[in-house]
Amino acid sequence: MRAFHLIFDSMLVAASLAAQASSPVPRASDGHPDLTGVWQPGSKIRGSWDEANAGNGLGGTGKDPNAPVALGSTARPASGVGAPYQPWAAKKVLESYKNRGIDDPTAQCLPAGIPRLVSFGLFPVQIVQTPQQVVILYEYMNVFRVVPLNAKHPDDMEPTYLGDSVAHWEGDTLVVDVTSFNDKTWLVGTGTFHSDQLHVTERYTRVDKDQVNYEAIMEDPKVFTKPWVYHSTMMLREGTRIREYACAEQNEEPARYEKLLKDGVKFQRQ
Amino acid sequence: MRGNPFAAGWLCGAMLLAAAPMLAHHSFGAEFDGDKPVTISGVVTKVEWSNPHSHFFMDVTDAKGNTANWRLDGYPPVVLSRTGWHRDATLKPGDKVTVFGWRSRDGTNWAHGRQVTFPDGKKLYFGPPAGTGDGGAQPAVDVPK
Repeated sequence: MRAFHLIFDSMLVAASLAAQASSPVPRASDGHPDLTGVWQPGSKIRGSWDEANAGNGLGGTGKDPNAPVALGSTARPASGVGAPYQPWAAKKVLESYKNRGIDDPTAQCLPAGIPRLVSFGLFPVQIVQTPQQVVILYEYMNVFRVVPLNAKHPDDMEPTYLGDSVAHWEGDTLVVDVTSFNDKTWLVGTGTFHSDQLHVTERYTRVDKDQVNYEAIMEDPKVFTKPWVYHSTMMLREGTRIREYACAEQNEEPARYEKLLKDGVKFQRQ
Repeated sequence: MRGNPFAAGWLCGAMLLAAAPMLAHHSFGAEFDGDKPVTISGVVTKVEWSNPHSHFFMDVTDAKGNTANWRLDGYPPVVLSRTGWHRDATLKPGDKVTVFGWRSRDGTNWAHGRQVTFPDGKKLYFGPPAGTGDGGAQPAVDVPK
């Protein structure tokens, strides 16, 4: 009897731990995974926004207030592998790095690019999924994407910052095809420019209740030697809401950068 | 590394947590010097919750009795709201606080405010760490040898 209790109890504990670690993927009425929710990109920590970010403070370890807990939005992506730019284009990327990103489009409050919008965790992202479309709302720069399912790109597309997106399901993965970009955003990391030939394929896979695995395959024959693949994750933040971020309200950055250059202040990397 | 007391921790953090969240807006690296940490205490004179960066001003009196008004820059309101700050309540004119941050490159009484310590000992982050918006620890492309 005692042995039975031990086994039974340990089963309960195991079940409880499993529930904490990974609850099942919520599904929509059409049977597909439901991506609806507010997400923190870039994180792998489960829990509410406060639980996942408290103590350390956003961007700090808590033990050392100088130490960031993570890379900045302008940092090199996590893979450690250099982006496959053609030699002339790599020089241009390096130039932005040496100039500490003063040519960053977001310094002018312009939209961050794709997948850059899904790379940093300071600002949450909300996804609203219906059987016909997926709407993605980004707090950062307050931009949005309306992504129709099983649709074709329209034939009157204009080049835009976030491009034109259509999606379909491949098993439990939402695959988003993005095209018709302008050449005015950075992909992910300082200076990661692209041409108007950019084509991005995003894959969103909700692996359990808390986590979406994200992959972006970037193709651009004008600047890359081969496709560049980027991975990130998004964690569910129940109780968090996205808010207004009116970046242009009092944006002093462009004027400050001009002044630094005019005054000859040495800020560049050597 | 001398004169740059945080660089080692900064790099370690970046390497250990390379797959973790990425944050923040632009601007730290060009405008502020991560090699010039500063800790100042004073009396808050003005607080502005604004986009893309909030800032506050404080009167800082040095050992000789000279008072200067400093400007501290930090997170936008959306981030402050999620990190324990309340508009018009957490930090007000007249409050005495200590701020740790990094000085601006132009040498004026202006700094990036990282951590604010309140009279009761409570500490809150007002802005991201040095290195944010600096282009990262390494470029996105490999440097040709």
